[in-house]
Amino acid sequence: MTKKRGLGVGSMFYGIGYGFNRADIGSAYIEMADDGTTTVYSGACDMGQGIMTVVAQVAAEVVGANIDTIRVVAADTTSTPDAGPTSGSRATFVQGIAVHEAASDLHDQLMQTAAGMFECEKDELEAHNGDVYLKDANSPIASLAEVAARVHLLGGRCASWGWHDNSTADVDPATSQGDAYASYGWASQLAEVEVDTETGHVKVLKIVSATDAGKAINPVAVEGQIQGGAAMGVGYALYEQHILDEGVPRTDSLAFYLVPTSMDVPEIQCEIVEVYDPKGPFGAKGIAEPATVPTTPAILNAIYDAIGIRITDTPATPERVFQAIQEARARGEFKD
Amino acid sequence: MAQPENATSAAQSGPYDWIGSSVPKVDALDKALGITQYVGDMQMPGMLHARIRWSGVPHAIIRGIDTSEAVKVPGVRAVLTAGDIPGINRYGLAVQDQRVLADDKVRTAADPVALVAADTEQAAEEAITKIKLDLEPLRPILSIEDALDPTAPSIHESGNLFTRTTVRKGDLDQGVKESDVIVEETYRTHLMDHMAMETESSLAYMDPTGVLTIITSTQYPYRDRRQIAPALNLSMNKVRVVQAPIGGGFGRKDDITSEIHAGLLALKTQRPVRLVYTRRDSLIANTKRHPMLMKFRTGARSDGRLTFVDADIYGDTGAYLSLGAFVIKKAGIHACGPYDVPNIRVDTHTLYTNNLSSGAMRGFGVLQAAVAHESQMDQLAHRLGISPIDIRLINTLKPGLATGTGQVMDEGCGIEATVLRIKEYMESHDLRFTRS
Repeated sequence: MTKKRGLGVGSMFYGIGYGFNRADIGSAYIEMADDGTTTVYSGACDMGQGIMTVVAQVAAEVVGANIDTIRVVAADTTSTPDAGPTSGSRATFVQGIAVHEAASDLHDQLMQTAAGMFECEKDELEAHNGDVYLKDANSPIASLAEVAARVHLLGGRCASWGWHDNSTADVDPATSQGDAYASYGWASQLAEVEVDTETGHVKVLKIVSATDAGKAINPVAVEGQIQGGAAMGVGYALYEQHILDEGVPRTDSLAFYLVPTSMDVPEIQCEIVEVYDPKGPFGAKGIAEPATVPTTPAILNAIYDAIGIRITDTPATPERVFQAIQEARARGEFKD
Repeated sequence: MAQPENATSAAQSGPYDWIGSSVPKVDALDKALGITQYVGDMQMPGMLHARIRWSGVPHAIIRGIDTSEAVKVPGVRAVLTAGDIPGINRYGLAVQDQRVLADDKVRTAADPVALVAADTEQAAEEAITKIKLDLEPLRPILSIEDALDPTAPSIHESGNLFTRTTVRKGDLDQGVKESDVIVEETYRTHLMDHMAMETESSLAYMDPTGVLTIITSTQYPYRDRRQIAPALNLSMNKVRVVQAPIGGGFGRKDDITSEIHAGLLALKTQRPVRLVYTRRDSLIANTKRHPMLMKFRTGARSDGRLTFVDADIYGDTGAYLSLGAFVIKKAGIHACGPYDVPNIRVDTHTLYTNNLSSGAMRGFGVLQAAVAHESQMDQLAHRLGISPIDIRLINTLKPGLATGTGQVMDEGCGIEATVLRIKEYMESHDLRFTRS
């Protein structure tokens, strides 16, 4: 039998954000127009992963608005405040809190005005999905739009901003001891592979990704990160390698620089784990990088489980795996 | 194995109106319908197209750059070299070691040497091929081993070892003594490209109020502005950076890529200039994922408990630091994995070479460290006859235990919950390891 199957596990932790005394801030402006529609000016860049959507969800939740009435303006030095980069799996964790703060203050302004309209205390009121309710009542007493129109009519403030500093002190320069990061992401993956011992080709049959999102604000977006992260990990483990010849890149087109295609990416089982993190918005934390880190070690460990040979250099190309098998055969350590 | 207390309680569950709900992404419909305009789709009246001439050799002294034939190509509006930069020809995220355009030397095969703006992309492409470089080759530093050689020529004034970090905890000798099994292995990881679907791209123009506006594929407009303004000798409030809809970043677009070049050409020509990298430009230029050499020694007792980690991590950051020192420091801080390790010695070394430079990429050094620490865990498991799942469960951090840097875990420590989830999946699907 030339094809051997194996299973491997990889685990990791990942410091969320920048850590060790690097600036790690989030900030956002928010305003509600007379008709109850809200604009969030969020400095965080969306690269396709969905931070604009997370910002909209946090704002809608905290203000009590309908999500379709939220517009997010993102990442423009003329209109949005500095929210730090979208990197380090930090955008949801840091910017989510900044938006939460801005939205909370706007919500307070609205409820204050509504309390005046209905001659009650603002703590007796809450807003959901665009309507204002007396707490525990089933029918709304007003729409947010009516309240917003009233705030504007009275010349009240119908805008706010939020700022959040996630920076941590540096670790000790001699020992690196210290609280390096505000929080950590956690993830483990299982990979199942099939190794062709005649060719050295490794096929990934399945990946199970258990990634701790703290609280998945948007589960489908989390799943997107998990799927993409695992696919990228397959590329790192098996295919994607820049080859330099005396410093000159030879893999300068997609004909030579191989990326995994849909034929190479296996079924990825998403297991969203939720261990509440009190430092994140609604308990959430970043998952972008945790979703890709365990894939490569899981595949390398699965190759060992399949053929009893440890690949210590990445990527595990057919040439490298075949050579390792040949060397093991020569030492009498490999049973076909 | 007891379930961690905080895993079952999970997240505070609301009830929420929107949190935890898979509402469609705000930009999904436009992307699905092809309506979204990326920089490469954007057009402006009078817009010029830009191309970059790369150095092509990894290490050389620049004796001369002859642009006389390039400027004659019909449609060419500007051919710029380092002398045309109005401000400071230096930038960089952690230290300013990058040149907007190469001046004294080239330090990688993908150093930008000259820029062209022309009426068409074809004219710009033709012009860059007509730029003649007179380069005097220098001995290139092409490996971690070369960079560690104290007699090797220095790529920058600082020497080739940019920085070293150290993690120290407990008593390494004691850890070695208490070990029933020790695994020693060397791991090497490779240079990887981010391969975002959209290549680096910027559209720059002077707005009617005299503000240089750059619409760009970036991960951080404010830090771009911080680097663009000094290079172009503009005040920062006269530079506006707008993130365009972008097709992936993965860390690559943390750095300056096309922004200063497009801005410089717009400033010089007073015309809108669009610079869209070809896939080749994107593959060869800017930052990659750090290749690392990692020498690990890890010990455990017969019951599977880890006793020590003793490691050296060498990262090849290429010719420019970018965020390399932070990436490699982060690799060191994460070198012991999500485990309770009492005795630790980890040294990291950030090295300059003449290879393509590396910077932020999804995982930021932790991925490389995980290749090593997870392979070590597996080797220990096999030597001790413990399953790969169980050796992790024995050692995972839990509330009250501390990371390699002494950070004590509290709420939000989810590693055990993720390993248990994998274990449950294997049991419910009758999956078994072949060798344990």
